[in-house]
Amino acid sequence: MTGLLTVVLFLPIAGAILLVFLPKDIPGPIKGGGLLVSLLTFLASLAIVGRFHDGIGGFQLVESHAWIPQWGINYTVGVYGISLWLVLLTTLLTPVVILASWNSIHKHPKEYVISMLVMESAMIGAFLAMDLVLFYVFFELMLLPMYLIIGVWGGKNRIYAAIKFFLFTIAGSLLMLLGIIYLGFQQVHLTAGGVPTFEITQLYGLSLPPHIQTILFFAFALAFAIKVPLFPLHTWLPDAHVEAPTGGSIILAGVMLKMGTYGFLRFVLPFFPDASIHYAPLLICLSVIGIIYGALVAWVQPDMKKLVAYSSVSHLGFCVMGIFAINQASIEGSILQMVNHGLSTGALFLLVGVVYERRHTRMLADYGGIARTMPVYTVFFVIAMLSSVGLPGLNGFVGEFLILAGSFQTHPGYATVAAIGVILAAIYLLWLIQAVFFGPITKDENRSIPDIAWNEIAAVVPLIIMIVWIGIHPNTFLRRMEPSVQQLLATVRGEQPEKVMTASLAAAATRSPVAQTLLSVRSGARMRGRQGLSVGVQGPKGAQTEVSVLRVTR
Amino acid sequence: MPSTSDFLMLSATLFTVGLIGVILRRNMITVLMCIELMLNAVNINLVTFSHMLGSLEGQIFTIFVITVAAGEAAVGLAIIIQLYRLKSSINVDDARNLNG
Amino acid sequence: MTWADTLLLLPELIAATGASILLIVPVLGGRARGHMAKWAMLALMAVTALAVIGSTYAVAGVQQTPTFRAMFAVDAFSVFFKLLFVVVIALVTLLSEDFLSEERYSTWEYYSLLAFALCGMMFMASGVSLITIYIGLELLALSSYILAGYYKNHEESTEAAMKYFILGTVSSAILLYGISLIYGVCGSMRLSTIAAALSTMLSNDALMFGIMLLAAGLCFKIAAVPFHVWTPDVYVGAPTPISAFLSTGSKAAAFAVFARVFYVAFPAFHLDWSNVLAAIAALSMIVGNLAAITQTNVKRMLAYSSISHAGYSLLGIIAMNEMGLRGILIYTMVYVFANLGIWATILMLRRHAYAGESVEDFRGLHKRAPFAAFSMVVFLLSLGGIPPTAGFIGKYFLFAAAVQAGFGWLAIVAVVMSAVSMFYYLRLVVAMYLEEGSGAETIYSPSLRFVTALSLTVTLVVGFIPELPIRQVIESSSHLVGRVVQR
Repeated sequence: MTGLLTVVLFLPIAGAILLVFLPKDIPGPIKGGGLLVSLLTFLASLAIVGRFHDGIGGFQLVESHAWIPQWGINYTVGVYGISLWLVLLTTLLTPVVILASWNSIHKHPKEYVISMLVMESAMIGAFLAMDLVLFYVFFELMLLPMYLIIGVWGGKNRIYAAIKFFLFTIAGSLLMLLGIIYLGFQQVHLTAGGVPTFEITQLYGLSLPPHIQTILFFAFALAFAIKVPLFPLHTWLPDAHVEAPTGGSIILAGVMLKMGTYGFLRFVLPFFPDASIHYAPLLICLSVIGIIYGALVAWVQPDMKKLVAYSSVSHLGFCVMGIFAINQASIEGSILQMVNHGLSTGALFLLVGVVYERRHTRMLADYGGIARTMPVYTVFFVIAMLSSVGLPGLNGFVGEFLILAGSFQTHPGYATVAAIGVILAAIYLLWLIQAVFFGPITKDENRSIPDIAWNEIAAVVPLIIMIVWIGIHPNTFLRRMEPSVQQLLATVRGEQPEKVMTASLAAAATRSPVAQTLLSVRSGARMRGRQGLSVGVQGPKGAQTEVSVLRVTR
Repeated sequence: MPSTSDFLMLSATLFTVGLIGVILRRNMITVLMCIELMLNAVNINLVTFSHMLGSLEGQIFTIFVITVAAGEAAVGLAIIIQLYRLKSSINVDDARNLNG
Repeated sequence: MTWADTLLLLPELIAATGASILLIVPVLGGRARGHMAKWAMLALMAVTALAVIGSTYAVAGVQQTPTFRAMFAVDAFSVFFKLLFVVVIALVTLLSEDFLSEERYSTWEYYSLLAFALCGMMFMASGVSLITIYIGLELLALSSYILAGYYKNHEESTEAAMKYFILGTVSSAILLYGISLIYGVCGSMRLSTIAAALSTMLSNDALMFGIMLLAAGLCFKIAAVPFHVWTPDVYVGAPTPISAFLSTGSKAAAFAVFARVFYVAFPAFHLDWSNVLAAIAALSMIVGNLAAITQTNVKRMLAYSSISHAGYSLLGIIAMNEMGLRGILIYTMVYVFANLGIWATILMLRRHAYAGESVEDFRGLHKRAPFAAFSMVVFLLSLGGIPPTAGFIGKYFLFAAAVQAGFGWLAIVAVVMSAVSMFYYLRLVVAMYLEEGSGAETIYSPSLRFVTALSLTVTLVVGFIPELPIRQVIESSSHLVGRVVQR
């Protein structure tokens, strides 16, 4: 089936357009329709996994059509190991969000569902786009629905939060637009072809002079650092999270923040390898500050949602650190951690939303001992929390471990400091559990809270399943991203992919004893990855040839 | 016999006088006259150049400019009259309804 | 002069004749039938549009045909702008309908002046000699002065007309002085002859002074800083449909002249004038956007936003490459339609002559007029340059042109200021969608609805399928670009 990616990409928007024609006053069918569309999208995205070839590092299922041919701008989409799971995360979280908001959104339900679906398309588009301008279009298209979700369905200070969110993001992304244009025209200068190109597979092969790399690196990095958000650009995030409705927070933390880390991986590292290596310590330093700062601020929050929001700052610091440690283990860990964070933080926001619906407060002080009145809820919450802490056996452990193990090789000092962040996370999250669920019931209102409802269970169960699955069998996920990560590293370092992998693993095994575990976790993946490699992906140019082969066969 | 550059100096002087007048004078009628002065300074320029270059274009343009100046005067005076009807004043400073 | 030449003048002849007829009708007893004026005007626009299209067939295959001793040219560039002007005037006619009937001013003269303005604009687009361009400019300007003061019993309107008149005539005098200097140095008023003369010439002070004065005069027309002071007052004081016209049609015409004069006549001295214009562009973007943030009156805000857009468009002239010229064309079009749509919404909100002005009037608009509110969001996003609206395509061209020409710093200023501009555009979105409460009542007539719908369609179509308009723009501008490359 050709056009699979296009189907996944436009299904939500098509559904949104259909919903426009439904009358306003039937919230049930509207939400049902939205759920149906998002579930269909999810099923279609499962087909992507089915058709994804494990061993290939380049782009797969590529589709390309001319969009603005005069300027070399094409509609080109494709999926590779790094984006595969993020697309899946997006399509999984959207139905979850619609389910979670089933009873909590009363104002303009139609517009809410439409915004969510438009946003889903935009996010999938940003993950799949292989053309820089197309990526930029989707990147910006995300802003408006999110702005409305915060601004219309948010809390008291929603307008301030919405505007702050919008302006921060757009300031960064507009500079990136300049960078994109500049990059596209570099190609014209280098090839003297006349028409610029924005196709990333062609831009990966560019070797730009260092000073240009530096300028462009900062143009792109700023946009993504705001999105992640990296300390000190994080100030919009707590405001946005606190004011956003539950569904908005889940999407924001679960997927949108990943645009930043994903952007680093997909654009910054391969486009500007020299600048990335040169400035990696700076970004690692900022992310470590973010890890510790986020954890400490989360610790003192009296508000549950703010606590989770600051924990996001901390967790995404790990992702950025892993990316800029630039080795196989840390980058794979980062990608996995992006998915993990989407699942566990998504679940946490969802569950915080559940009690907020019932009590209309998010203050820790207003709860205590509700494990007795809401036993089922407590189980879910504790699992999500432990995943966020990084308990072995759950997903958070694998990601954080790979990141730390990888970073130890290149930046042992920073990695040690970051490890403190893991401990802090355990402290503040266990503190949250203690304050909310255990101890004596001090408030009478807490004696009669109804336990978690069917729609909320339906929303949270898929997340819990994924949390456990990734924790127990990460190979399912790591296997498919490995060749792409190897290829990325080869692009960055200009080395052969084989050597890179062996070197990084060997180093991991010899330097840190804990990395032995890692090897055992990943040995299966490595074997299968090798087999895939023999199909013939060699270095950065490999991506190009492979894409062209795919096109011909299609 | 004055030279070409003398005419150009005369034109530049008249133009500057007109411009300064527009900026400094507050009476609308005076302002209008200053604008006419500027346009006629341009006319001197055009005719001088036309003579110097031996091309007719400049003189033709001068006739157009005179015509347009007449149109401008007509429109300007109409606006001044209307302003006087409404405010009983033709002082530029009295037009303060728009806070600019 | 032959019959074929006259045929090329047909659109202008039709517009001028039509304008004269509209002027005579009330004298012949048509005053009572004021409502007929609109239809007469729309019919005139339709005929003019047909004539414009027809004139392209008259020159079929020939890219540029200067006639009347090389003072007037019908080429793809002028046809592009003329069609744009006709559409703008037709839409302004629709915008004016309710406004005129409410205020009981004579309609025939009003439309007649609009038609004269159109005639002037078309001469500006077709002028290849500074004489033609000046005459067209003055015809447009004189009509605009009267239209700005059309509410002769309102002090604001008369004051606006007075300010516009004084500053406008001074600026055209300055422009004229610049023209006279250029004429003195180059020995001709024709753009192509000027270009030929300049290509063998070294930079000299008189010439640079002339070019700068000419640029200053044009900068007044497009409302670029520091020649912008009239803009906010005139936009607020003039009748609202006329503000709409001044901020779209009149600016577009000035840009047509700006582009043609600088791309055809002055490429030889690009290095000398581009830095001055770059400073003007940067100032316009900075001053316009920062001043717009503090405004509470929507019309003033739009005025400052239009100042900043003049700065963006100037990027295309400064860049002096094919991307830049195309950028001007497409950005002008995009800007015109987004702006007309916004003015239509403002008109819809009015309660009497000068309402629909404060941001509060927009509160909760999405409940009272969901379609208008949605379109307004699209227009504002388009002005802000957010994809997938048309504004993104326009800004993309201009930024790319600036980057390509080595004006990276200017592109950065433009980008940062675009982000700033979103701040005040969002204020209206916030008022319409996020704030509760009742703003001004709405009178949403079919004409306004039509203007909104048409502008919305253009804004979205150009945003989603930019290929077609871009091809059109390339066709319309390639013969001017060719000259630049040659040099």
